[in-house]
Amino acid sequence: MTTHLVDEARAGEVTLRGVSRVYGKNYAVRDLDLHVEAGEFISLLGPSGCGKTTTLRMIGGFEYPDSGSISIAAKPVEALPPYKRPVNTVFQAYALFPHLSVAQNVAYGLRYQKTPKNEVRERVSEALQMVRMDSFAERMPAQLSGGQQQRIALARALVNRPAVLLLDEPMSALDRKLREEMQIELKLLQQQLGTTFVFVTHDQEEAMTMSDRIAVMNSGRLEQIGPPDAVYDAPSSAYVAGFIGQQNFFTGALAGGPGAWSVTIPGGTVVSTREPAGSPVVGAATEVAVRPEHVTISAIPLGGPNEIRSTLMSVSQLGSALQIVTITPDGLKIMARTPRGVDLPSTPGVDVYCSWPADAVHIFPTTPATESE
Amino acid sequence: MTAVAAPPQRARRRFTGSVGLLALPIAAWLVFFFIVPFGLILWYSFGEKPSLYVTHSNDVLSLARYVEALDPAFLTTFWRTTQIAIVGTALCLLIGFPIAYWMAVKLSPRARGIVLALVLVPYWTNFLVRTIGWQITLSPEGFLSDFLNAVGVLNGPLQVLYTQQAVQLGVVYNYLPLMILPLYVALERMDHRLLEASRDLGGNWWSSFWRVTIPLALPGIMSGLLLVFVPLMGDYITPSVLGGASGSMVGQMVAGQFQRAQNWALGSAMAICLMLAILLVVILFGVLFKLIGVALARFRHLGDLNRTGAIS
Repeated sequence: MTTHLVDEARAGEVTLRGVSRVYGKNYAVRDLDLHVEAGEFISLLGPSGCGKTTTLRMIGGFEYPDSGSISIAAKPVEALPPYKRPVNTVFQAYALFPHLSVAQNVAYGLRYQKTPKNEVRERVSEALQMVRMDSFAERMPAQLSGGQQQRIALARALVNRPAVLLLDEPMSALDRKLREEMQIELKLLQQQLGTTFVFVTHDQEEAMTMSDRIAVMNSGRLEQIGPPDAVYDAPSSAYVAGFIGQQNFFTGALAGGPGAWSVTIPGGTVVSTREPAGSPVVGAATEVAVRPEHVTISAIPLGGPNEIRSTLMSVSQLGSALQIVTITPDGLKIMARTPRGVDLPSTPGVDVYCSWPADAVHIFPTTPATESE
Repeated sequence: MTAVAAPPQRARRRFTGSVGLLALPIAAWLVFFFIVPFGLILWYSFGEKPSLYVTHSNDVLSLARYVEALDPAFLTTFWRTTQIAIVGTALCLLIGFPIAYWMAVKLSPRARGIVLALVLVPYWTNFLVRTIGWQITLSPEGFLSDFLNAVGVLNGPLQVLYTQQAVQLGVVYNYLPLMILPLYVALERMDHRLLEASRDLGGNWWSSFWRVTIPLALPGIMSGLLLVFVPLMGDYITPSVLGGASGSMVGQMVAGQFQRAQNWALGSAMAICLMLAILLVVILFGVLFKLIGVALARFRHLGDLNRTGAIS
């Protein structure tokens, strides 16, 4: 389904330059630069209040930036009202019109495009088929479940063939199983249509599952942007490292030198690490992050680097994996995750050895200098 | 199985029985204060006033009182009453809607309570007292007259009191809260994100207003129109206080027959005529709104789409 709007290659492009939005004295969004490629699935990820929804609303035209520029398809839109922008939105609570049937809801936007009657009928049933809701055309929104309403909201937006589709946490009201199904479906739909999707979520798994790129936001700023695996494997800050996936965090002082950097954590344990970025200063307060899946648990010392003796506290089943929590004599908790079937001590209280390779360690300055970056 | 199922069933039967009992006070209220008085009025209307000192008698039953009631003087007043009621109801809608919209959509939730109180407090004040308030305001030697003379808008005393315009003003003032409240409730209940959705789908403010706000407010508009129109038709305090001879309404004529003329039979016939007329107008309202609904569906040009391949 190619659209009449995508006749130029740049039709799905969204560019924000130096965009700020201020509420009272607080910046909801501060000096944001973001470029979304045509046909890309991008997620704005962050906790509530990080500015992701405000960013989406500014792209949609429901809020105007206090400074900066927004362009869609290489045309400035920051001063245009929503109905003059080539975007459509799937709202968080769907916002279906309760007085109109499913078909009338989906047809709502086509009237403004002066679509001929026959084509309206065709496109509405096409859009409903796309979300597999064609047998519900005559229902009223109140007669639908949350998941069905969400599909209608999606059809109502996509039937207009927008250059960019904005999705404001559309799955937050769905239960987990349905949400996972919808994530896959939405991703397939996006690939099939080639429409740019800008997806707002606070759920990092959701962002990881669907996105071509993830933009992690924090206090109105863009913290890191990149493909899911890059954001996961090479977080640019402790904030991103902690927000995406789980981490074991330790704090300590940077030691060693080129070729053999390490961090001395409380209790005197020396954690050797990969080469720090920038110009490291020996003695600097440093945050150490190690993902649970990189931690190996063994009953006997293996003699590798970064080995810490600790006491097993708990072993829990995560379905496909086991999660192990241990505590060191100095009171540091270490979490590990291993595939099931690995032979492990499982009695709480026994001594085990935790270890991880040096290149699995990420370090960050303890007080990230976000203000000057 | 049956032994287990039986107790809840019995319990439910007993429960419905007690629910029925709970409805008794309202049923009694309806019977004693509505059905019985209404039946009496209907009964009296077929009788006559036999002599100067007797208010009514049903010894001879006839429709003569109805013929007597529908004389030209009554019809003239009745027509004027209908005019005042229609204009008054329309004005209440025109004034009430923007106020209700402003309260429900624009005001912060905290300010809403205060404005709601500003609407309600005058309404809770005694009907007669606030109407007399207007009598004082509108009187030729009142402060409004003085003020208008002082600023030069008027030269000479204000000549509004005891005219149809004064009655019109009075009824709009008296019944406005009855319009604002249901409209406010309907608009307040509306999800304001629906307007964003409409704008997102291509509608500007004005078209979103017609395609989303008005249809969703329609139940409120209907109850507002009825809540204002029905009591307004039967109002006799407002015209008595502000109307004088030229602004009289049919409610005053009914009251006149019961109180001054002591002719309960004729008064009853007039009252029945008034009630029938109001009923007729209410039915017309209903039909009109059905038609508006159909027209709106046409306007959305999707009537055919709703019918394609639909069974449900």
